[in-house]
Amino acid sequence: MAVEREQLEADVLIVGAGPAGLACALHLANLIGKHNDSSNSSKSGPPLSAENIYVLEKGREIGAHQLSGAIMNPKALAELVPDFEKSAPLDTPVTDDAALLFTKSSSFRFPITPPPFKNKGNYVVSLSKVTKWLGGLVEAAGVNVFKEFGGAELVYEGDGIAGVITEDKGLDKNGKPKDNYTPGYELRAKVTVLAEGTRGSLTKKLVEKKKLDNINPQSYGIGIKELWDVQPGRIAPGYVAHTLGWPVSTDMYGGGWIYGLSNNRVSVGLVLALEYANPQFDPHEAFQKWKTHPFLKNLLEGGKLVRYGAKSLPYGGWYAMPRNSVDGGLIIGDSGSFLDSQRLKGIHLAMKSGMLAAETIFEALQAGDTSSKTLSAFPKKIAQSYIKKELWQVRNFHQSFQHGMLRGFVHTAFQQITGGRGLIDPLLAHAGHEAYKKINGRPAPERFKGDGQLTFDRLTDVYHSGTRHEEDQPCHLHVADPNICATKCVEEYGNPCQYFCPAAVYEMAKETNGSLKLKISAANCVHCKTCDIADPYQIIDWVVPEGGGGPNYEGM
Amino acid sequence: MKILVVSELRQGKWNNASFETLAAAQQIAKATASAVSAVVIGKGVAPFAGELAVKDVAEVLLVEHDLLDAYTADGYCVALKQVMESAKPDLLLFPHTYQVRDFAPKLAAMLGKGMIGDCIGYRNEGGKLVFVRQMFQGKTAADVTFAGAAPWFASFQSGAFRADLLAAHPSGKAPVNSVSVSLSAAQIRTKPLDLFKEAKSAVDLTQAPLIVAIGRGIKAPENIPQAEALAKALGGEIAASRPICDEGWLPMERQIGSSGQTVAPKLYLALGISGAIQHVVGMKGARTIVAINKDANAPIFEIADYGVVGDIFEIMPALTEALEKSKSS
Repeated sequence: MAVEREQLEADVLIVGAGPAGLACALHLANLIGKHNDSSNSSKSGPPLSAENIYVLEKGREIGAHQLSGAIMNPKALAELVPDFEKSAPLDTPVTDDAALLFTKSSSFRFPITPPPFKNKGNYVVSLSKVTKWLGGLVEAAGVNVFKEFGGAELVYEGDGIAGVITEDKGLDKNGKPKDNYTPGYELRAKVTVLAEGTRGSLTKKLVEKKKLDNINPQSYGIGIKELWDVQPGRIAPGYVAHTLGWPVSTDMYGGGWIYGLSNNRVSVGLVLALEYANPQFDPHEAFQKWKTHPFLKNLLEGGKLVRYGAKSLPYGGWYAMPRNSVDGGLIIGDSGSFLDSQRLKGIHLAMKSGMLAAETIFEALQAGDTSSKTLSAFPKKIAQSYIKKELWQVRNFHQSFQHGMLRGFVHTAFQQITGGRGLIDPLLAHAGHEAYKKINGRPAPERFKGDGQLTFDRLTDVYHSGTRHEEDQPCHLHVADPNICATKCVEEYGNPCQYFCPAAVYEMAKETNGSLKLKISAANCVHCKTCDIADPYQIIDWVVPEGGGGPNYEGM
Repeated sequence: MKILVVSELRQGKWNNASFETLAAAQQIAKATASAVSAVVIGKGVAPFAGELAVKDVAEVLLVEHDLLDAYTADGYCVALKQVMESAKPDLLLFPHTYQVRDFAPKLAAMLGKGMIGDCIGYRNEGGKLVFVRQMFQGKTAADVTFAGAAPWFASFQSGAFRADLLAAHPSGKAPVNSVSVSLSAAQIRTKPLDLFKEAKSAVDLTQAPLIVAIGRGIKAPENIPQAEALAKALGGEIAASRPICDEGWLPMERQIGSSGQTVAPKLYLALGISGAIQHVVGMKGARTIVAINKDANAPIFEIADYGVVGDIFEIMPALTEALEKSKSS
């Protein structure tokens, strides 16, 4: 049945109100404002207005789906909002940065903090709060931000894209319209900017369809985070520590973070590359175990869990950056691989990518040409900016660790002294899900339960993510062939979805006849996209659920 | 311009949005120097036509037919088409009700005309009417105009205009004119049955003093009658944790927890419920919580006043039997 959709036209449509999308919107609105002020006498180009910039955000409000450590390098923000220190919720400047090596029962502080872990001049922030604040500036500039609307489909036109169709609202479990059914809108724009974050669901389709992949496939990690209120005196605001070692084994890549915020609040988390060999490895469990290390136990004991969340991040860097300009479209932020995998910093690069996109778009709108001919100025601007400078130095960094920490250190030592070139350049990568080794009949491990004080099971953590979805809606996790789950995957990999999902969405439930059947509790989903990334058969497709659904990462 | 307001009656009562639409029509008429008429459709509805006639309208059209007693889209379309042929309105206005959503687009399509539905206002731009309707859940408003020739169709959202601003007839009463329509049973393809109420309010767990709730421990839908028998013996309601309702073993309105109902009964009997926090937030206000679970480490025991570590399939029937016995003795 063909659905009749309402159409709306914009100059620019930005999908996703994260740091990249909002920086793009604000910078573009500022450019337009300046242009309109100065060009009263000598009109050049078509009239432009910030009102013709639309931003879609699937979360309940701006910031609801934002999660990061976060240490923010304020470089890009200072360019975008020069007096940001007056009003931005920066929480606290970094005062001390430590690199810690963990064994199971002790910790060792590196006497000199390695340069990538140095954070003087940066801020410990809640990315959710910073985004919310930035969103306020964007709306005040006249940009239309549509909250609770996700991009469900791309509108293709010619060799590129011409807009987005938002998700249908008010469908029941079986896809039948309910009383409140509203078909998605067809939003057409001269330029559509994909700023969906890691593994954007539209970006994924566009990259596949238009073959925008770079020489390396994207590498991903998962970050799992808890926010705690701890006993007074346990941690100083601005204290920053990164941990290496236990419980992350040397054949894996990952580490922990401990960031002190103001008011005895602390952000703790573990980041792990999604390219490990054991398909029954459980990142959430590793994070919980990490918290039982004496160093963390001392910190957290007597404290209270405030929030929980998880998110994937793109590690691939320069050589995994998709071609980011097509006719009528640009890709920015985490969707476009703008993250420094060595320092694990992406906020400033995401914002800068958004700002350079804004400059590209502004020129294209003025020229009246938004084809890839003019939009291809975007990658050129990136190449001339500090984005390239930062990412080029670490272009081979993450690939070095695809075979574990030890080999990684050898590679990166050489990269350090050769400006990033190292022993092999470009160092090629394989997709993370190809790293799984078959279980060969190994029984399923027992699931981690948690003590309810320091450690938690996944359902308890999901509760603290504030995740909510309309219950009666079609499942937003499409599994191309559930038979594979019940037969092939049981045998070969023991259903890794049950282990890698940090929100207890996937479960192989025992039927009365003893066979296993995939059960998806989609309402638990925290939108981290790990399933879409880490499924061994690549048959899980994460699509946007009804807008407004998902976590509530206030303060994260 | 001639404006015709199509009023709505349901089971012998006004749909009050009819008056709001009439108020909208009066305002449009004032701005465009037009005349407003209203039409009342049904069987034995003359008194209602009289009620409209005291408002500021040029006339009220009364359309009565046996086959219009119960609402059908076919009947309304055939009748209104004939009304339009005789009254020749330029603009038809409807309240944006479920019924109107059902038949008005169909009527417009029969005549090859467009309809602007669910409007919240209008503007008069030099004689051209611009209708305003919401998009993006009210975030923006779109201006829409008619491109083709009259007659035009539009409906107004309930609450968009104020019924209390309806102007009374300046000289007492407008004429009520009957319009006879020819309508045969063969033209009506649908057969209206009894009206049904939404099932939503079938069970109100928040008011139940005794609740028997089941969780995954119930294992299969075939075992649910055992729990229902126990609920009946106790005089309580049956409820469930999320997995049970997810499976469709019990309807969603019986789900307790963060994504279901929040209850605070006198007695909450949790059978085979592990006590995930998502469930607990929906029932921790219960005065007395009794939990039965095989797993002694189940978190439900942390909040239970009384706990039994045991097999629900042994305890449920025994409890039911004991309750029945004590009742009969």
